[in-house]
Amino acid sequence: MTSAVEGLKAESTEVQTAFRRLVLGLADTKRLLGIRYSDWLLGAPSIEGGIATSSMAQDEWGHARLLYAALKDFGDDPVELEHERDAADYASWDPLDHPLPDWAHLIAAVVIVDGALALALEGILEGGYEPLGGRIGKMLGEEEFHQALGKAWFQRLATGEGEGHAHLQQAVEAMLAPTVRCMAPGDDAHERLADRGLILPSSTLQHRLAGRLDPLLERVGAGVPTEARLDNDWDPRRGRGTGHPEEEAVERARGDRNRALFVE
Amino acid sequence: MEEIVFDVFARKNRGDPLSHVGYLSALDAELARVYAWKTYDEENWFEMCIVPRSEIIPVNRTDGPFAQARAGATTSNRRANTGGRS
Repeated sequence: MTSAVEGLKAESTEVQTAFRRLVLGLADTKRLLGIRYSDWLLGAPSIEGGIATSSMAQDEWGHARLLYAALKDFGDDPVELEHERDAADYASWDPLDHPLPDWAHLIAAVVIVDGALALALEGILEGGYEPLGGRIGKMLGEEEFHQALGKAWFQRLATGEGEGHAHLQQAVEAMLAPTVRCMAPGDDAHERLADRGLILPSSTLQHRLAGRLDPLLERVGAGVPTEARLDNDWDPRRGRGTGHPEEEAVERARGDRNRALFVE
Repeated sequence: MEEIVFDVFARKNRGDPLSHVGYLSALDAELARVYAWKTYDEENWFEMCIVPRSEIIPVNRTDGPFAQARAGATTSNRRANTGGRS
């Protein structure tokens, strides 16, 4: 197996930088998603739901670690990436900047954010980038169960007419456009990679996501947008909006408290 | 929303007997699949299956836990002693 740098050594610096941005964004998003899942270990509607959420959090943290490790081949120190960056340097997707306030928001995050992450990984897999291929296969196997849980709960909540339905609708409205924008921004960096065949073009990603999610989203009167709006609120360096995850979540992502216990 | 009790069966290796490893409650079979896989994950199972408890037909006795559960397969049956964990 060639290293990532060797895999892209024939490519320009711009292509390598764009690929690094993509992988770092996926890693950071999975790290934050794990934290948001973990917030619901004790708040799920049933013990079984809590156990499943706990397991999904572990999956996401494991995926994040694999992706951070892959960035070593781009000259990054994974330890530094995981433990020493400020919140403003995180490239995680905007919908995870704040805690998920209720179970409906958690389910929307499973379906929309986790679903879009899986699709982005599939895009890399199809691009044939060898160094990540085996790792992505394992991740996607675990993601099948995340999507099964998300779909089943989404249908339940959407079918009702009470609070759950209303909260789900709000969550979908808040998460959908920002998630699609991060997954398929169609900016220079994204299209540079798509032109080289390393990932799927934005339009293909949006189309596929719509094919998977629209039958569910229609239940709350929503649908995957066909165009990403970057406007002024776009940070091309990180491939996300200009904000950042709240400090408390980043402290947990870095494991500040755990590291304070280290004895040299 | 009423939950359904599912029993979980698994085998570690091809050819091993399918063993009862536990039970769980879920709103439907799809959620039960996920809960089973995520809850009973202590082994690298070769195969795992779930069965709604109400579908298990007792053969030799009418006072066993599955026979009692068959009367109504909802969460009220969770405490039936089937030898599973949780």
